[in-house]
Amino acid sequence: QHGRVKVKTTAQQEEEKRKEREKKLQIYVAARDACFTKRKDGVFDDEALQLTQQLLSSNPDFATLWNYRREILLHLETVQKIYEAELSFLESCLKVNPKSYGSWHHRGWVSARLPRPDWARELSLCDRCLSLDDRNFHCWDYRRMVVKMSGVPVKQELDFTDRLIGSNFSNYSSWHYRSTLLPLLHPQAPDTPSQYSLPPEYELVQNAFFTDPNDQSAWFYYRWLLGRGTRCVYVSREEERVAVAFSRPVNVSTFLLCFLFLVFSSEALLCLLPPGTISDVANEHNLTVHWTEKHSHRDCALYTGRSESWCRDTATDLELFRSELSVEKTSVLQSELQSVRQLQELEPLNKWCLLTIILLMRALDPLGYEKETLAHFQTLKVSTRPHIS
Amino acid sequence: LSKCVVTCFQEYTLSEYLRMSGIYWGLTVMDLMGQLQRMNRQEIIDFIKACQHECGGISASIGHDPHLLYTLSAVQILCLYDSLDAIDVEKVVDYVKGLQQEDGSFAGDKWGEIDTRFSFCAVATLALLGKMDTINVDKAVEFVLSCMNFDGGFGCRPGSESHAGQIYCCTGFLSLTGQLHQLNADLLGWWLCERQLPSGGLNGRPEKLPDVCYSWWVLASLKIIGRIHWIDKAKLRRFILACQDEETGGFADRPGDMVDPFHTLFGVAGLSLLGDEQIKAVNPVLCMPEDVLQRIGLQPDLLS
Repeated sequence: QHGRVKVKTTAQQEEEKRKEREKKLQIYVAARDACFTKRKDGVFDDEALQLTQQLLSSNPDFATLWNYRREILLHLETVQKIYEAELSFLESCLKVNPKSYGSWHHRGWVSARLPRPDWARELSLCDRCLSLDDRNFHCWDYRRMVVKMSGVPVKQELDFTDRLIGSNFSNYSSWHYRSTLLPLLHPQAPDTPSQYSLPPEYELVQNAFFTDPNDQSAWFYYRWLLGRGTRCVYVSREEERVAVAFSRPVNVSTFLLCFLFLVFSSEALLCLLPPGTISDVANEHNLTVHWTEKHSHRDCALYTGRSESWCRDTATDLELFRSELSVEKTSVLQSELQSVRQLQELEPLNKWCLLTIILLMRALDPLGYEKETLAHFQTLKVSTRPHIS
Repeated sequence: LSKCVVTCFQEYTLSEYLRMSGIYWGLTVMDLMGQLQRMNRQEIIDFIKACQHECGGISASIGHDPHLLYTLSAVQILCLYDSLDAIDVEKVVDYVKGLQQEDGSFAGDKWGEIDTRFSFCAVATLALLGKMDTINVDKAVEFVLSCMNFDGGFGCRPGSESHAGQIYCCTGFLSLTGQLHQLNADLLGWWLCERQLPSGGLNGRPEKLPDVCYSWWVLASLKIIGRIHWIDKAKLRRFILACQDEETGGFADRPGDMVDPFHTLFGVAGLSLLGDEQIKAVNPVLCMPEDVLQRIGLQPDLLS
């Protein structure tokens, strides 16, 4: 019962409404009981399809009736015509109630069993549905299933979100979808971000927040786009241990754990070295940490006379897109900082803008920008009313 | 308020397909208000008994098919009444176990709809029954984590957009399985606290309207990840109270709308999380009174 306004009514109106409701309810109960009886008796006929259709048209969340229809469909021979009729019935249900879990699940069930599926038609149904409500997550999820089943190219889907964002920047669902598509398009991303076509992505998201600086969709996406996963290795001579930290949870093989590693959390691992291995300051040690997932490694040297060593590197591949900022993208971050500062001149009190500037400055040069970031924090605290964008 | 819950029970033919959850919503409100004794305990327990099927699963009502959603609601109700022995618990466990898929996910019923909501229902049911070890917890965790998004939130399935209701299910799931460290709590907390609107109310996704039920989904998630102080509590409290209907006592999604037991529970539970002293303390993971969980001996993890 979302968004139903409560209205004041007179006693007479109330009485008329009550009678009307009662009549409708009687018809409903009779149809429901007829369905239940038929099902109990193991009847799977056309009349049962009719009865359930009548009830589901107005009450698509009645899950048991969808189950009954599936039993009937499974009982009948798999005929293209019957399944297609089911799809057109579902389309009418979705027009009335586009947010029913039951209707969408049933559509997926029917589509997957259609002898000759027409995925192009399903994709165009999603297009139409999303043109009416571009935030309907049921439809987005169904679209992702259609895309997967029919092998729609990633680029085509990215272009689709281009169109939606082009007509309405405030479209978190589309930005979200891009966040899942972009890493698929750049599976082997090279080390320097400028080498692949990300600049248009920055331009797109900048257009969005310059157009409406108070719309949070683009800002969340931007924060992620700027980010980059990192891994960090630390070696301590005195404590005879190696620590490895990641910017996201990772899986560690239990084999490894049995021997050397202790896990703090899935983002930090600790390896206790056998006593005496690295304790002699006169020795230099070269340690290599292997990431089994991508067959890459990180060397970390502990030099003669040093008590500890830090090594940091940027993760590649799918880990490229993370929400943590890193120094590896300095030139990109520098030019982004310039753009956001331009916006801040126009919108001195916009909290998203101030926050992004602080994050960029801290990633680029925390000490150099210390004074400015503190001043921006002060503005955020004083001038922007809390919890209002 | 108690009056509303009783009347809502009478007009219910059309919502029969979710009756079991309706009873859970109503009874939990009553228990949180210290009024559980006003409901007909025996009638409800008999009804639940009649809703358990041969396969062990429990349906929303008599004549309907069993589903994880209603199996959890029924188990929650029986915990409120300390009457788990009214049903065949072993069979419930078998039912839940049987719905786990190869990839660790859970189907809602035998028809195969997959959703992280059902992962939550499965582990919540088993946690209440003390039978968590009967499923493949590692695989279940792996699936839920595969639904984590760029914003730190979660959706229904891998690739689905983050949604506060889904985030509640997934943070609750990770709490019950002892895996809260897998979250990026700062990133997720930031997204969650940005759900608060100038009215004080919370929405479920960016650029959406506020709704009282999100007072629960968002607030409980923030509580689970130890960041409830990131929103303006006083303003949210004013918003929730503005959604209470003076005539019937129930709560609506927004001020001036129709009331129902669903929004009434999540409004009252939200007020409890905000520290309202007229209401019993509610557990943010299971949305049940803390004293009930203490009796069972279940204390889900929370981040500090």
